[in-house]
Amino acid sequence: MRIFSGSTLATCAALWIGVVTPVSAETPITYTDAGRALFSFAVPDFWGVRTGGPREIEDTELGDIRGVARVMGIKPVTDDNVWMGFVSPAGVASIDDGLRYLDDIDKFLVKDPTVTSTSDTRIGGLPARVIRGTGTRDGRGINFTATIIDLPKGRVAVVVAILRDGADPTYVDDLNAVFASFRSLQ
Amino acid sequence: MTSNRIKRAIFALGLGAASFTLSACDGVTVGVGYGYDPFYDSMLWNDYYHDVDVDIDVDRPPRPRPPEGKPPARPKPPVGKPPARPRPPTARPPAARPPIHRPAPRPRR
Repeated sequence: MRIFSGSTLATCAALWIGVVTPVSAETPITYTDAGRALFSFAVPDFWGVRTGGPREIEDTELGDIRGVARVMGIKPVTDDNVWMGFVSPAGVASIDDGLRYLDDIDKFLVKDPTVTSTSDTRIGGLPARVIRGTGTRDGRGINFTATIIDLPKGRVAVVVAILRDGADPTYVDDLNAVFASFRSLQ
Repeated sequence: MTSNRIKRAIFALGLGAASFTLSACDGVTVGVGYGYDPFYDSMLWNDYYHDVDVDIDVDRPPRPRPPEGKPPARPKPPVGKPPARPRPPTARPPAARPPIHRPAPRPRR
């Protein structure tokens, strides 16, 4: 096409890219427990939020009732291969407790989990433990990043980010942007 | 020459606009719901409190009595009741009536 010769194409492309991709604007979300705001994070554009809430779930076999803290899930509106969940369980006060809590949920989240790395870092200015690994779920391989963030006043935030095999790798930036926006509110 | 450039730019911008307009027709919110959300559901379930004997309900203090008298009137919620349905324009057919000229009972013999 002759008309796309020269700088016309470049100019128009630049214009359109500038119009269409504003750097992921964010919607702040606050996680509360019993009216207390614990932490906040920002949801990337075009992601859906599932708020959840405190409730009790009964084991149908044993008949015992288990209290469940609010679980917030976020995922892209058009993609099921990426998921991120937040929970601040009651009675879990330290990173070590959080690791035990994680031990008790990861067998439901991931089959055959293999931890590939564990590191200590700071998220939102708070000490945090990051556990990366792989596993399977529904016959598909997944990559998971489980994070325990030590909130003040005896709480922790457990954040799990999951990328299924075949997920668009650019979502990693979105997931890291969510971590970068994490703030304690106490 | 300048008008040519402007024409090209307008044409290219138009093509770009058309492509975005067309791609906007592609449904964004179709098909992904909360029907099956395996990761969410599994994060709910945990064994953490399972082997810990938590008997919260053993010595629960008696409930405080509710305050006497009528509770204050509730504030009106912002969303009002929808208006009553309008009557349909088609009227009901009249109820069936017995025929006017009912044959008289047979005289007894």
